[in-house]
Amino acid sequence: MVSVAELRERVNWKEGRISPAILFDEDVYELERERLFGRAWLVVGHEDMIPKPGDYVTNYMGEVPVMVTRDLAGKIHVLVNRCMHRGNQVCLFDRGNVQQFVCSYHGWTYDVAGKLIGVPLEEPLYRDELNKAENGLEEVPRVANFKGLLFASFDAAAPSLEEWLGEDVCWWLQTYVLVEHLGGLEMLPGWHRYQSPGNWKLHAENYIGDDYHVFASTHVSWFKVVGDLLEKGLLSPEMMTPGGERGTKYEGSAGAGYGRGIPFGMGMVVLDDSVYEFDLKEARRLGPEAVEWVQERHRRFQEVLKDREPKPYSFMNGAIFPNLGLMGFYSTAYGRHFLLFHPRGPWEHEVWQWTMVEREAPKAIKELAVQRVYRGQHMAGTIGQDDPENFERLTEMMRARRNWRRPFHYGLQLGHEAEGPEGLPGNLGPNPSEVNQRQFYKFWLELMESE
Amino acid sequence: MATWEQKREIEELLSREAHLLDEHRYEEWLALFTEDVDYVIPLREHIQGDVPPAGHPVVKDDKLMLTARVKKHQTGFSHVEVPVSMTCHLITNILVEDGPSAGELEVLSSFIVRQARKLRDEAWWAGRRRDVVRREDGQWKIARREVILDAPIYPRSLSIFF
Repeated sequence: MVSVAELRERVNWKEGRISPAILFDEDVYELERERLFGRAWLVVGHEDMIPKPGDYVTNYMGEVPVMVTRDLAGKIHVLVNRCMHRGNQVCLFDRGNVQQFVCSYHGWTYDVAGKLIGVPLEEPLYRDELNKAENGLEEVPRVANFKGLLFASFDAAAPSLEEWLGEDVCWWLQTYVLVEHLGGLEMLPGWHRYQSPGNWKLHAENYIGDDYHVFASTHVSWFKVVGDLLEKGLLSPEMMTPGGERGTKYEGSAGAGYGRGIPFGMGMVVLDDSVYEFDLKEARRLGPEAVEWVQERHRRFQEVLKDREPKPYSFMNGAIFPNLGLMGFYSTAYGRHFLLFHPRGPWEHEVWQWTMVEREAPKAIKELAVQRVYRGQHMAGTIGQDDPENFERLTEMMRARRNWRRPFHYGLQLGHEAEGPEGLPGNLGPNPSEVNQRQFYKFWLELMESE
Repeated sequence: MATWEQKREIEELLSREAHLLDEHRYEEWLALFTEDVDYVIPLREHIQGDVPPAGHPVVKDDKLMLTARVKKHQTGFSHVEVPVSMTCHLITNILVEDGPSAGELEVLSSFIVRQARKLRDEAWWAGRRRDVVRREDGQWKIARREVILDAPIYPRSLSIFF
């Protein structure tokens, strides 16, 4: 087993040096199962995935398959997808609406709240000796709903979700992600999923703070294509990234040292009006209803932010510790991507993505917003297809343990983190930066150290 | 009802297409599609009971977007295709039926595609295609393609064409 001293040596977040061993060492992975995925609050979905009684959606918590269900009384449960008799998987579908889950092995039957309601040949075979009340599906003990976003934790003694998230993270989450003041978000059902090489943390830390790769190398082919086609008038500006002068975009950090709670990082927090103007320009192309919405949502944002200064318009990418990525939060005309990075052993992970749009936006904006999800930062999109390629190349290098000796370099903007405007919850600093990756690993270490 | 001659021409079209893709002759491949082509890969899911359908597909391209994908790969900086994937498109089970309107044919086919990346990385893709083809400028062109990929979870990010 890996010792605390070894972990500390491997995670030198203060100097921005992180050992590859925390990604690829089997012992670290085993400890992570227990200390991280075994007790963190994990996002398991959104309540709009299961609007009706009997609705369910399947997902993972770490490597544990779970069903997120709404029972007939409307209560939400997170159930481990394992028959209490012999451990068979009881639900084989991605989502559905049912009265009960029936195990294929011996037919034990559970209702959507997880209660064992049927055992074939119970009377002659078990002779009243089976305690059905003790053999319901295992219910994940802690479930919480944060303005629609569903979290669950295997740790019965976990702090409340609000305490875990921290006040500042809650503020960013409700103001910029779940946007109640805009009427909230609308669900587009369905998981978009793919396997990716490399440890799950590679993806999580990419979303939490790596805007360096976007413009420096990984996605330059996409920018070039968009630019060329725009110039020739061949492409509508739907894939254009709003501009903005250097210095108007910041890295946002909350939690893990920037206030209490877990790390929440946001890339490209936009403080000027460049994206608002871009949205207006697009909306004019889409019609008066769209213009009205862009102006109305701007007004509502100003209202919500009336006691704050500065007043960010939006942010582009983000992540909530440990494994939820966020994308597309900087324009009403971009759909919201929520991505779960599920571990599948130290060398592999899966990305499970779902899409939302602003509920009150007019149809033309919603359609454009959705299109931009699957054409852009998506497993088949012209942006998202390139990210796992980096992880594959890196992972190939790390098969030789010798290559673990030299730590990875997370030194971007080290010591300059506070060089941003004050006044908002958490911290705004220079973008791009690796401040959020450092905070991610700082908190990861804290969690992994504590018994 | 499609004639023998039409069936033969369509089979040749699909075989030619597969070779163009495997030889990375993307400009010629694009020329096999009509200007108003609709190229769709729907989301495949395991669904139980009465729930709404998937909110959006995996791919829904027009000619411009297909062209943009090709141009992206041609920049030399489309890392997911550097070096370019070796692919082998096997196309079979071809059926040619009447199309949705006069002058059009519906073409069903099945495929297995092996994608080899770099030294050892690979992906196997399999599924069916439902095409609508029509004659334009003296040759058959694909006016609609639906790719029914048998993959609830994709084996890697998608950067090749079917």
